[in-house]
Amino acid sequence: MPVRTAKQMKPTLKVTKSRTPNQSTSGVLRVNQSATNTRSVNSSVHRKSFTLAGDSKVLDKGSVQTHKQTVQVFDETGKDVTPQPLYQPEAGALQPKQSKIFTNHDTSGSTLSDFLSTAYQTTNASFAAPFTRSVFGSSSVSRSSQSTMESMNDEIEDPSSKKDISLSLSDVQVRREEIKEQIKEHMLDCMVDCYLTETETIWLLDMPALSVSMDSEEAEVVKGRNMAYQELCKNRLGNDKYMERPMQTFNGAPKAKEVQSDSISMVEKATMATHWDIYDSYVSDGGAGNAADGASPTKLDISTLHRVHSSRPLDRTMSGASAISTASTSSSRIDTEAFVVQGENESDPEDVLHSEKFLQDLLVMERAVLENIYQPKLAAYRQLPILPDPNREQKAGDERDGQDDVSLNPALERLWAFNCELTMGRNVSNMAWNKKNPDLLAVGYGQFDFKDQKSGLVCCWSLKNPTWPERIFHCESGVTALDFSTCSPSQLAVGMHDGSIAIYNVQSTEKTPVIDSSDCAHKHTGPVWQVRWVENEHGPGGEDKRETLISVSADGRISKWFLRKGLDGIDLMKLKRMRSVRKHLGVKERKIEALISRHASGLCFHFHNNDSNIYLVGTEDGLIHKCSCSYNEQFLGTYTAHIGPVYKITWSPLCPDVFLSCSADWTIQLWRQDLFTPILGFTSTHKAVHDIEWSPRWATVFGAVNEGRLEIWDLGSSILDPIIVSMARPGVKLTSLLFATQTDCVLVGDSGGQVSVYKLKNLNAGEGKEVNTLHDIIRSTLASQL
Amino acid sequence: MLEETLKRIQAHKGVIGTIVVNAEGIPIRTTLDSSTTVQYAGLLHQLTMKARSTVRDIDPQNDLTFLRIRSKKHEIMVAPDKEYLLIVIQNPSE
Repeated sequence: MPVRTAKQMKPTLKVTKSRTPNQSTSGVLRVNQSATNTRSVNSSVHRKSFTLAGDSKVLDKGSVQTHKQTVQVFDETGKDVTPQPLYQPEAGALQPKQSKIFTNHDTSGSTLSDFLSTAYQTTNASFAAPFTRSVFGSSSVSRSSQSTMESMNDEIEDPSSKKDISLSLSDVQVRREEIKEQIKEHMLDCMVDCYLTETETIWLLDMPALSVSMDSEEAEVVKGRNMAYQELCKNRLGNDKYMERPMQTFNGAPKAKEVQSDSISMVEKATMATHWDIYDSYVSDGGAGNAADGASPTKLDISTLHRVHSSRPLDRTMSGASAISTASTSSSRIDTEAFVVQGENESDPEDVLHSEKFLQDLLVMERAVLENIYQPKLAAYRQLPILPDPNREQKAGDERDGQDDVSLNPALERLWAFNCELTMGRNVSNMAWNKKNPDLLAVGYGQFDFKDQKSGLVCCWSLKNPTWPERIFHCESGVTALDFSTCSPSQLAVGMHDGSIAIYNVQSTEKTPVIDSSDCAHKHTGPVWQVRWVENEHGPGGEDKRETLISVSADGRISKWFLRKGLDGIDLMKLKRMRSVRKHLGVKERKIEALISRHASGLCFHFHNNDSNIYLVGTEDGLIHKCSCSYNEQFLGTYTAHIGPVYKITWSPLCPDVFLSCSADWTIQLWRQDLFTPILGFTSTHKAVHDIEWSPRWATVFGAVNEGRLEIWDLGSSILDPIIVSMARPGVKLTSLLFATQTDCVLVGDSGGQVSVYKLKNLNAGEGKEVNTLHDIIRSTLASQL
Repeated sequence: MLEETLKRIQAHKGVIGTIVVNAEGIPIRTTLDSSTTVQYAGLLHQLTMKARSTVRDIDPQNDLTFLRIRSKKHEIMVAPDKEYLLIVIQNPSE
């Protein structure tokens, strides 16, 4: 559209007040803008506009112009200030808005300013016309991106307008656009129609053709001219009009000039982009960055590269990878560098020692070291073949001889002992395996006698470390009973000499029990001799497989404990002294007038394996009572044979009706549930038998510990003598016994604080037939008795 | 707790030396002489990096947790971490 120029200077140019432009400026401002600082624009704007104002001649004063009749401009008050085609006398009204426009107008940022600043530098500042051209050229760049700028584009690309557009025009045009934009900002969500129009053709270069077609109109003219020229050339030779004249140009003498620059130092830089390096940077970027986007397809490529070029040396694929993902490697490197810097800021390099991970690593390391030491023993325990150490010198004959000796006889091989300085001198009172982790053993240390009571100790040992326990719990009084729970395998119930029961959680490293029964009203008043977690199939609420903690104590009560707010117990049974039974034994009844207590002390109990209602209790009087949970007043039956306190009763795990009992009267008795007299009795020495246990694997094998020795009995081989006997170390008494469940090993605790592990070797009891064997024995014995 | 464990490890049968080095190669705890410590730390650091690189190249989500080198005379056990290196040298067949 034609641009009309006004001859007068536009008063709008004088307006230089502008707010601080943030990132957007109009075309005018951009001209003055330095490359980075937008705030300097203000002053330069002032300057510029002043110079422009001063240069009235050069400036083409703009006339207001409209391009499209549809364009309507409103100011804030809603007044229609659509510029009219002619020069407006209300220029004063337009001026203040103009400044605002300048500030708010957002054009594309730095590119425009850069372009304009270079334009500024290259062109004369005072020369406005080329300025304006460049201004408009650049503004076209910016505004073409905006939808409403097409009007301006039309303007700008018009070649005629390039010369004549004045600043004032630009002012006005800018303002118009700006107002439009202000409106737009309010309605950002509405649909904007973009009209794309083709601009007029811009001629950049015009090289007219030298040849003319024969058919064209000019052909005749051209031909004529050609002919005339040829004649001229012919006439040239002798003609006076043409003279030959030579000329010579002087060639300047060349001069060599040398330039020396600083040598460019080359530094070699190499990086190894490994598969995991790329993976790390990808992960650390969060998967959302350019590097990550670049890395993810390349990661796949690299993996395929790996597979394809697996035979080729790694370097080639690495270099290929590095070429692709230099960005990611550099970023990872920056990450590591930043991390190292952080590390240096920490004052103490020893902080590293106190981290969790370090403790964990120490634990693993200790186990690894111990594994090297104990490897043959642990292999024997786990029934793995013991491989000879290839580096050890072969002491020929020694080892082989050892093997031959024990090839046939059943024997015990001592593997190792759980012992540490904490436990030295303490009496092992009880041991229990963890139900879930068969490598975890809990050992309770406490004196049996009331005389020398020390504080108690519970240690949880792991097979992987026989030199130091995994958990150590100090208790106030001696520990006399222990059991691990089945339902929650990390709970350990501990019964103590002062009658209190505590439950520890072995998973945590806390030293205090989870719960304690010391506050309970019903707590035991005598030492708790046994605790056991019993699974009930008929739970109170009808739930199955609930567990209850049951304990027996020297105060004659068998209590069942619940976890309510504290540990609370109710009595299942009170053990009454039964005087009448003594008559049955034929012992003269002494007149007992004053009883110390009406209750007999209970020393042990065992619930039936299959029926959780029935259990047996052994008392200090030597009586074994069969009781039921349903009756808490009366016994179902009494087994009398022992004349000393019954230390242990145990049902056979493989034969459901048979149980063993051992007592301080040097005997072990074998009973069947329905007979109230023992079937078989075993005596070997004149020492109290402290502990017995059935072997979990063979039905005819059981182990017994009396004070001086460990005995393994196999009823299938002999019912008179134990088949294996192992003497205790001098000075200690053996106090407790435990069979290992998975392997054929036996653990023996003694009064010196050691728990020794023995392996049973060459036990000839075959599998599967012992139950029958046992029944046969029983039957034959009974038959012989009758 | 920490010191006891370190002492215990050192006291086990056959253990020749225990070294703890931090990420920069500075020995924090050692029971061997200085030159041996520095030698072990430097060499094992490189080997650990290589081992870790190998493990992670095969599967980047995997990582190296423990390294044991058994030689004719001893066994060197290394527990590596980003911040430290725990080295124990043991003669297992003593």
